[in-house]
Amino acid sequence: MTPDPSPPAHNSAHRATAPLTKEPEKPGEPAEPGLPEQPTPPSNLTAGEDGGAHRTHRPWSARRLPAALVASVVLVAAGAALVDVVAVRAGRPAAAWRQRLADELATRPVDDVWMLTGAAVAAAVGLWLIVLALTPGQRHWLPLRSPAPGLRASLDRDGAAALLRDAAMQVAGVGKARIRVRRHHVKARADVRFRDLQQVKDDLTAVLDEERDRLALARPPRIVVRVRRHTD
Amino acid sequence: MTPRPALNRSLLAFAGLVLLGGGLLILFAGLDVYRRHDLVPPAGWPLTTPNDVLLGSADRARWSSQGWWWWPAVIAVLALVALLALWWLLTQLRRGHPGTLPVGGTHPQEGVELRDRALSDAITAEAGALPGVEEAAVRITGGPAQPRARVMLTLTPQGEPGVVLDALHAGPLRTASRSTGSPPLPTEVRLQVAHHKPQRAQ
Repeated sequence: MTPDPSPPAHNSAHRATAPLTKEPEKPGEPAEPGLPEQPTPPSNLTAGEDGGAHRTHRPWSARRLPAALVASVVLVAAGAALVDVVAVRAGRPAAAWRQRLADELATRPVDDVWMLTGAAVAAAVGLWLIVLALTPGQRHWLPLRSPAPGLRASLDRDGAAALLRDAAMQVAGVGKARIRVRRHHVKARADVRFRDLQQVKDDLTAVLDEERDRLALARPPRIVVRVRRHTD
Repeated sequence: MTPRPALNRSLLAFAGLVLLGGGLLILFAGLDVYRRHDLVPPAGWPLTTPNDVLLGSADRARWSSQGWWWWPAVIAVLALVALLALWWLLTQLRRGHPGTLPVGGTHPQEGVELRDRALSDAITAEAGALPGVEEAAVRITGGPAQPRARVMLTLTPQGEPGVVLDALHAGPLRTASRSTGSPPLPTEVRLQVAHHKPQRAQ
């Protein structure tokens, strides 16, 4: 995946035909979703001035932490077994943990409650690892429309909530606003201190829609506004 | 040696399948699922009835009488697994970076190279000065063959993500690609907003 040295003429001609769509994948690239950067060929910056917004997808997590955990567990288990097997070959007695483990495994039938519990836990952990392997992760980041291919941007969900809250607080009559940003919708709840409830709600909807467009999200979430009269 | 998401995900899926398969095998036998539902496990199926044990005496006897090659083989396999696990763990802990970047793009200048640190410092300084940006942090990652840029920006409460992103693209990133003379690095931008108290309209 070396940076595509294609001349700028090729890129601009290519984008002129389809300015708003994602660049097609190069045929030589594996269609592996786990790669961090989708094969958007880095274009020449002078060709990136078409003003079109390139949809970016949620970045896929590298799954660094679960991989490190699984690797550590495998390393410890294999290392301990290795040390003990070598020690036994060298004429020493087997370690106590190994004798105990072999005894337990040889005497407990599989309907023993410990065996069943262990098996259930193992199956649950296994299912969780499979889910981790197949899902993108990074649910806390909202992808943004990006000004150029090869540039991928995402906005922190808390940051989006803070910006929307600031916008909501500018509406006259709003005393307190709580914004909850999910991936596909935003819930805004506001306490109204004065003015007509419906008017404030309409204003809030308009202001929040405007602020949402300013966030440049690739998939603008639906905004649900709830207002209630503030009572002391 | 940077973490490869495809590798991580494949190995995680493999580990998950092993755990899930083993767990289900024990659960099926332990809860006597085969008999209750009149299922006939195929011949040679390891666990079939609730009275089975994981480590039968027949298994132990068979393993102990395999001949001289058995234990060396076990040791070799264990050592290989331990080494691979160690390598996999180390790839998670290291964050690779290209070291130096060629200058001159398609016609690289002989002997002219740019430290990745110098480039990321330059982008950081210029991005941090953009309006609406409170703090910037830039890292160049990836191997020498495929350098990538990671830009973390903390916006001020007045910052607008779309505007800042356009400014970042038109300013620091363009400067960087112009000064290295190569096409712009694939860049991942993460935007956060500085924590602040809600401000009521006056």
